[in-house]
Amino acid sequence: MRSLLFILTLAIGAAVGLGLTWFTTVKGYGPASIRSGAWEAWPKAGAEDADPYARAALARAGELPLELADGLAFVASTDDAGMPLDGRCDIRLTGSLPQARFWTLTVTDPRGRLIDNPAKRSGFTSPEVVWNRDGTLDLLLGPRARPGNWLPTGARERIVLTLRLYDTPVGLARRTSDAPAMPRLVTERCP
Amino acid sequence: MKRLIVPILAGLVLGGIVHLVGVLILPYLAEKDAYSRLSAIGDVNTVTPIDDPSSEGAVLPASDPAFVSAVCLYDLGDGPLKIRVPTTEDYTSISFYTRYGMPFYAINDRSAGRSVIELDLMNAKQKAALPENDEVTVADRLVVESPSDEGVVLIRGLVRERSAREAIKALVDAAGCDSPS
Repeated sequence: MRSLLFILTLAIGAAVGLGLTWFTTVKGYGPASIRSGAWEAWPKAGAEDADPYARAALARAGELPLELADGLAFVASTDDAGMPLDGRCDIRLTGSLPQARFWTLTVTDPRGRLIDNPAKRSGFTSPEVVWNRDGTLDLLLGPRARPGNWLPTGARERIVLTLRLYDTPVGLARRTSDAPAMPRLVTERCP
Repeated sequence: MKRLIVPILAGLVLGGIVHLVGVLILPYLAEKDAYSRLSAIGDVNTVTPIDDPSSEGAVLPASDPAFVSAVCLYDLGDGPLKIRVPTTEDYTSISFYTRYGMPFYAINDRSAGRSVIELDLMNAKQKAALPENDEVTVADRLVVESPSDEGVVLIRGLVRERSAREAIKALVDAAGCDSPS
């Protein structure tokens, strides 16, 4: 009986410990994130003093973080209403972007791979897009080609957007309250 | 029932410890970390171009497809290295990471402010051995001190538009990472 209880202790320990470790490193890069609308970023993951959760998540994914002195990546997997981004729908991205020398926007599947499409386009860079007169951006994501700023989604069920700001002051002040205003994401029409 | 309480509590505490230890050692145990992915494509102390990300994935997950990248895995065991990167018309950046993925330095074309970024990469010991009253050292050389002997230099150039890709790739691939002559 004694040894049975001992084995139970070990089993609980292993299950809880490994489960927690898996759970905390499988999505995102630890607890130190900043949020703005549907977007989330981990400025500290790209710094020398990254927390152990960020380090573990990066090592596990096999990634090298974007260094904070280089830029900052914002990730969105839902729209502003909290609905998962669905590549079969028309999704509109509007608004102004934080100050940066360059930015890039990339569409991937949930595993971070690019989505093949006939237009051979998987993102935009800031010099490529057509801006509105007032300096804001209006961009449409969807399965069907559109005039203007259009990003194909390959009609995937789930897509993820990554907006990377380069040479930007954003994130250098390490407080959550400093999250910049990010563009809105609205799902417009679904088949 | 009562005799189960102690094993369950002890199990939870043990679980907490396992979790903390697991998170802390994961960077050192991860088999498919960035360094091993990169060492599968490139040799030490040479610049190797990294294939562009595709629908099959990327050499390094979550890398920006708008960039052309190259890597130099370094080992300072045989002495300091000289990193030379021609800047492109747009954004060019060089990022430094230790063997276990800790970022420790990054510079871009603007902060370097010249048409070829030249850096001297060395460890603390090699830096301390630099001649002290050498004025050239202070004014003209960018010295990067690596906290470890082994690490990764990631060289990246932004491709503004698709048509510019080949030209920027040529510049990035022309980067150097070798011992100073």
